[in-house]
Amino acid sequence: MITAEGLGKRYGDKVAVDDVSFTVRPGSVTGFLGPNGAGKSTTMRMIVGLDRPTSGRVMINGQSYTDLRAPLAEVGVLLDAKAVHTGRSARNHLRAMAATHGIPASRVDEVIEITGIGSVARKRAGGFSLGMGQRLGIAAALLGDPHTLILDEPVNGLDPEGVRWVRQFVRHAASEGRTVLLSSHLMSEMAQTADHVIVLGRGKVLADAPLPELVRAWTTERVHVRSPRAAELADALAGTDVEVTSSDRFTLDVTGLPASRIGDIAADRGIAVHELTPTSGSLEDAYLALTGDSVEYRTREVPQDVAPLEEARA
Amino acid sequence: MTAIQARATHIPTTASHVSLGRQLRSELIKLLSVRGTWWSVAIVAVLTVGIAVLFGANLPEGMNDPIMVIVAPVQFTMLLAGILGVISVTGEYSTGMIRSTLTANPRRGSVLAAKAAVLAAFLFAVSLVIFVAAALIVTPILAADGVTFDWATPDAAILPILSASAAMALFSLIGVGLGFLLRSGAGAIAVTVGIIFVLPVIFSLVGSFLPDLTWLIDVANYLPASAAPSAILPSDLSALNAAEAWLTLGGWAAVSLVAGWAALRGRDA
Repeated sequence: MITAEGLGKRYGDKVAVDDVSFTVRPGSVTGFLGPNGAGKSTTMRMIVGLDRPTSGRVMINGQSYTDLRAPLAEVGVLLDAKAVHTGRSARNHLRAMAATHGIPASRVDEVIEITGIGSVARKRAGGFSLGMGQRLGIAAALLGDPHTLILDEPVNGLDPEGVRWVRQFVRHAASEGRTVLLSSHLMSEMAQTADHVIVLGRGKVLADAPLPELVRAWTTERVHVRSPRAAELADALAGTDVEVTSSDRFTLDVTGLPASRIGDIAADRGIAVHELTPTSGSLEDAYLALTGDSVEYRTREVPQDVAPLEEARA
Repeated sequence: MTAIQARATHIPTTASHVSLGRQLRSELIKLLSVRGTWWSVAIVAVLTVGIAVLFGANLPEGMNDPIMVIVAPVQFTMLLAGILGVISVTGEYSTGMIRSTLTANPRRGSVLAAKAAVLAAFLFAVSLVIFVAAALIVTPILAADGVTFDWATPDAAILPILSASAAMALFSLIGVGLGFLLRSGAGAIAVTVGIIFVLPVIFSLVGSFLPDLTWLIDVANYLPASAAPSAILPSDLSALNAAEAWLTLGGWAAVSLVAGWAALRGRDA
């Protein structure tokens, strides 16, 4: 269990984290989302005592990280891939970490095997690819078999097999009752991994809710309809709170009515329906809707002129 | 990563808490597992033996203190001791390793204490071995001049060698403190070179232009590079007696470590 209470961090005039409170519960995977510069990494660094909060506090199982007697056995941390001396071999890095807690060399070899870095374990970490560095960071986080895992962008740079391994691993850890806090920019990956989501934006908590609830609250369900008499059906569906858009003569996109109701109305009028597909929003849609105003480093909208391309194909 | 996630979390480990002894072991593994350490040791060995051999082969007339030949190279190698102290710390900052170190042991004072203790012990042991080796190599060269080391009298051989090794350890501590204080390798090495090599030159230059400033010469005696010879081979001719010289060297190391500790304790890592 990780508990942040009124946590704040300010660097000079710049407020990185602003009065943030949340609880990360054991037995589930909590996703930590937010645009670049939202304060996720700073918050994670404060959890493990690297940065000192300017206000508030954050506790792990009721204790401040700096008071833990066996930090590696309580918390496994992956902050970024570059927390390793480039001139030291992966195995020696893990041995040095393990030595602080009297963790035996057999466990070092175990985490090397688990994370699949056996073939490079005796090579200098400076030459590692991003993915290998990431695996080494995960290996270090696992050394003490910790109750709590804090992983900042763990799948960054991993190959698909590694991404899947991380997903299965954190799901498994949560199923054993461990506490998992995980940040990622890959929304589809997060949607498959997290049970609960905390969204940060400009240093504040924008949302803190179970993932399905968050998606429901921040996206609208749409129903995609195909019918030879689309225009007629559109008229029949019209009403308050119902929005119907049409991209061509035979298709409609309806919001504000459930698919069952649309089917019933069509049947009442004897209108044939060839397709009726409810599409729920994705975590990505919910995330973008939530953080729309709090993106610090905004990119320019890419013009979406699809039509010419379609014509060219035709 | 193989699909053995069950093993990833189920294997009971005998992990227990952090202790100073374990912290020392960790720091020793770190020190011995990077090339920079062994480069520094190699350079110290080459300089010590090389200078001792040159000095021994060209012994000045009436030399009654032959161990001087062995400990004199400290005037150069003390800089390497300082630099090794610096890079053992700044290497962690430049690579990000410091974050792993401080998450494994968030008690920052004990991180600094362990690193300092390991560096000092390592420098002492390595220097001792190198000095003894240099003495053995130089013995036949000196014998040609009819000079021998008086191993039976502690003051004449063993004590200066132990003292020189201890001085090397203290110089490494000055480097460790500066490393934590400044974090940047280039910056901390520059300051170390400044304190050890440049300040004495500046003091003596200014002293030669302004000979009336006698206090300047007094102050210069308390620079580490000036105090070291007085500590290693005390003589009635040197400005500081042995106790004063050791206090001076210890003081430099202590001030540097305290400053480094204050920075490590107060700043975000």
